[in-house]
Amino acid sequence: MSARDFTSAVEDSVPKVEEIAVGENLDFQRQWWRFERGIWIFFLLILIADVLGVFGRGWLAKAQRTDDAHAMTLDYERVERASTPSIMTFHFMASAINNGKVQLFISEDIVKALGAQRIAPQPESSTIGNGGVTYVFPAAGAPATVQIQLEPSFPGIHHFRTQVAGGESIGGIITVVP
Amino acid sequence: MPTIIHAVAGYLLLLIIVRVLARRAGSQMTLFEFVIVFLMGGIIILSTVGNDRSVTNCTCAVIAVCLLHRSIAWAKSRSPRLGAILDGTPLVIIKKGVWQPEVVQGMKLRREDIEAAARSANVTRVEDIDYAILERNGRISVFPKKDS
Repeated sequence: MSARDFTSAVEDSVPKVEEIAVGENLDFQRQWWRFERGIWIFFLLILIADVLGVFGRGWLAKAQRTDDAHAMTLDYERVERASTPSIMTFHFMASAINNGKVQLFISEDIVKALGAQRIAPQPESSTIGNGGVTYVFPAAGAPATVQIQLEPSFPGIHHFRTQVAGGESIGGIITVVP
Repeated sequence: MPTIIHAVAGYLLLLIIVRVLARRAGSQMTLFEFVIVFLMGGIIILSTVGNDRSVTNCTCAVIAVCLLHRSIAWAKSRSPRLGAILDGTPLVIIKKGVWQPEVVQGMKLRREDIEAAARSANVTRVEDIDYAILERNGRISVFPKKDS
């Protein structure tokens, strides 16, 4: 038995429908049905946005940047998902290849905040400094491609910068959603 | 910390989703609807624990969900309005032998649902029902006509 005394008087305060105590609140229910219609439309809009790539992995999320010197083109996703892998692809033109090598600088954000996991092909050498990492790849001729697998751990907005020797700097913003 | 945030977000998302689905819980649920509920729970689990499947992480997630559930139960006991928002209110489907079409259409009920509830109450015909009430837990209470 409960240690607390029930001191309030026993009374029937439940709203009745005719003689049955139901507690129905039809006005509230009508408001709820209106809310339900609204929220299902909202859910539908979320799905449409997802298909289009507003939350990453779709048409709107894909981005392509070319530097002013046309030495490098970068394919990446402007919207990424946390803990989900994606690929950033660097395409090099002939002007990016000097003495059989491509020298690529990527800023720290790509390595740390955006969680660079793997780089293919493996670079001949990598040098840290100037707020990022500089990779050197042996290259026979254009076109040449390097891919970096990204897997950001946390949501956020990240600015990045990359540049190939013989080209201009490319900057961008990547939004990571939960 | 991310696990607790994910667990709270998952709980609240499920709370909204289950609430806006038509109220067909318990005895009125079909087998497929049970499967849908488990499917939603399974999907939420994936984002809650992520790659960290340690006992510590899973324990923290479970404790977070339990604490949140208890807090919401306490809040519902204090606020009837919140209780109505989260659990709904009972609705009269048949009143004095007359169907209430607004409720039937609004709750997407089928005649078969009422017939099943009637059989559970030892009423053989829907026409013999005086009152049928859709309870907050999805069960349909049936009161037969006195002369039937």
